[in-house]
Amino acid sequence: MLNKYIITVLGKDRPGIIAKVTAELYTLSFNIEDVSQTILQGEFSGFFIVTGPDNITPDTLMEAFQRSTSELDLHFHIKEFAGKTSDWATCECETYVITTRGPDRKGLVAQVTAVLANHNVNVTQLQAVFRGGSEPGKNIMIYEVDVPLDIDQEKLRKAIQTKAAELDLRVSIQHKRIFEAINRI
Amino acid sequence: MLTHREILSVLEMLENENLDVRTVTLGVSLLDCSSDSIKRLRTNIYDRITHVAQRLVKVCDQVGQKYGIPVVNKRISVSPIAVAAAPFGVEEMVAVAQTLDEAAKIVNVDFIGGFSALVEKGMAHGDRNLIDALPQALSSTQRVCASINLASSRAGINMDAVLLIAGKIKEAAKLSADHDGLACAKLCVFANIPQDVPFMAGAYLGIGEADVVINVGVSGPGVVKKAIDRAVESNPNMDLRQLSELIKRTAYKVTRAGELIGREVADQLGIGFGVVDLSLAPTPNVGDSVGEIFQSLGLRSIGVPGSTVALAMLNDAVKKGGAFASSNVGGLSGAFIPVSEDLNISKAAADGCLSIEKLEAMTSVCSVGLDMVAIPGDTTVETLAAIIADEMAIGMINKKTTAARIIPVPGKKAGDHAYFGGLLGESVIMPVNNASGGNLFIRRGGLIPSPIHSLTN
Repeated sequence: MLNKYIITVLGKDRPGIIAKVTAELYTLSFNIEDVSQTILQGEFSGFFIVTGPDNITPDTLMEAFQRSTSELDLHFHIKEFAGKTSDWATCECETYVITTRGPDRKGLVAQVTAVLANHNVNVTQLQAVFRGGSEPGKNIMIYEVDVPLDIDQEKLRKAIQTKAAELDLRVSIQHKRIFEAINRI
Repeated sequence: MLTHREILSVLEMLENENLDVRTVTLGVSLLDCSSDSIKRLRTNIYDRITHVAQRLVKVCDQVGQKYGIPVVNKRISVSPIAVAAAPFGVEEMVAVAQTLDEAAKIVNVDFIGGFSALVEKGMAHGDRNLIDALPQALSSTQRVCASINLASSRAGINMDAVLLIAGKIKEAAKLSADHDGLACAKLCVFANIPQDVPFMAGAYLGIGEADVVINVGVSGPGVVKKAIDRAVESNPNMDLRQLSELIKRTAYKVTRAGELIGREVADQLGIGFGVVDLSLAPTPNVGDSVGEIFQSLGLRSIGVPGSTVALAMLNDAVKKGGAFASSNVGGLSGAFIPVSEDLNISKAAADGCLSIEKLEAMTSVCSVGLDMVAIPGDTTVETLAAIIADEMAIGMINKKTTAARIIPVPGKKAGDHAYFGGLLGESVIMPVNNASGGNLFIRRGGLIPSPIHSLTN
């Protein structure tokens, strides 16, 4: 019986983070099933789903990581993989891209995503594209979202547009396929 | 996962570069509407169009909203009425045009095309009656468009029909004199007319087509212009090979958008998808002009020396990019240079940079022809016929489509202005060589034989 863990790693980005973490996993006979990483403003964040021998607990793993990466000042979080996917993931969806442009302010993401949550719309990617800094019109957020097929799309569209108008944002809601069609072969 | 660059470039094309789908055109065959009673025929035509097209506008709007790209025009093309209404006389033909107009109004499309006849080799009874009905039909309807095929590379040029149609154009202009001859803006004459054009005024549903079909006309002169401007700004030394590659890539993007939307509209209507027409189609708005592309490429204005070669490069690059982007390409597919419909081209005509002769030369390397050209109202039928015949010859010899949509504006002379309104725009009246003269060559009539298809120099 194999143990399956989710490991997250946070720390200042620099060469060698992934090398050290994966070397330790290899030493302990773990296999990486899935991995993703991103870097924001110089901060590294890694997300691993691994399987390994059943005699290694999260605590043992944590100690091993801390010992081998002490000079990198990394923070780890390890938990057992729950296995079952949530009910939500099983519903039929279409992927849309929502883009908001307008002045940056506190609570902007919270208010937009609250509308999405109310309509059972799941955010799968969220990117802040702050271009231009002082130029308010250039502040851009891009949400990639899964919209369930069985909801009233017109109502959702109206709700997002109303909220965007309140927040002084220009918003566009477009099916993802148009971006793929135009940009990709 | 999409990158933010991919998303933002599409938004930029939509917001600042006038990217849209210029037209989704529903082709409807009327051949099974035939009857020996004109009343029955009109009822059948009306019922068929209103039934097939009832959801067209709504679905186009919904799909446009889904992808965030507007379908600007929704249109219908029908079987050539000269065939569908072949047994009937001139007055009945006019009545059929009025039926088409009523059906178009009910389903809320802005134009319905197909008041058409194919006479490149000879005129049948129905063809002749339809041509005779043109002035009345076009001046008593708002949305009906007509097209006549006068020549083909296989058949030659029907010079009798050329002269006949020139007379009808003059009559149509006279009947719509209050609107600067607007009726003529809804009539396009062709050499080698394609069966699947989605653009007006040339759209009709060919005899070789299915019962119903969706064809799409893309747009995008603004997108091409801005792409060139951006590229030249970051690298002022771009050469023409690089610019051609850039236009090709841009045409690819524009076409992909059109194809996606066209296919989805067709799916939702349960109708087969026909073709994407890869034309750069301008509107009389700033930033949506083919003429402006010439300036971005480095010419002082469209019409100056160098315009033909620039257009050749532009047209070829658009075709290459578009052909790669779409699985079914058809229609006219190339750049349009309609004078009154393009602010920049109409300005070039007003400034004296662009003459009819240069326009004619340019039509040998682009997709259409002398399009939306306003000429003096006193231009003789023979001179008008001669201009048309010259244009037909370019198409016939070069095995390509050419067309003429010429408006002899009643009561106005060269240098005056004509106003057609809306998408049809406005233009200076362009001077015509030998405007008031006769033309014995044209008067001789007959059929100019089809050209030799080898020895191709």
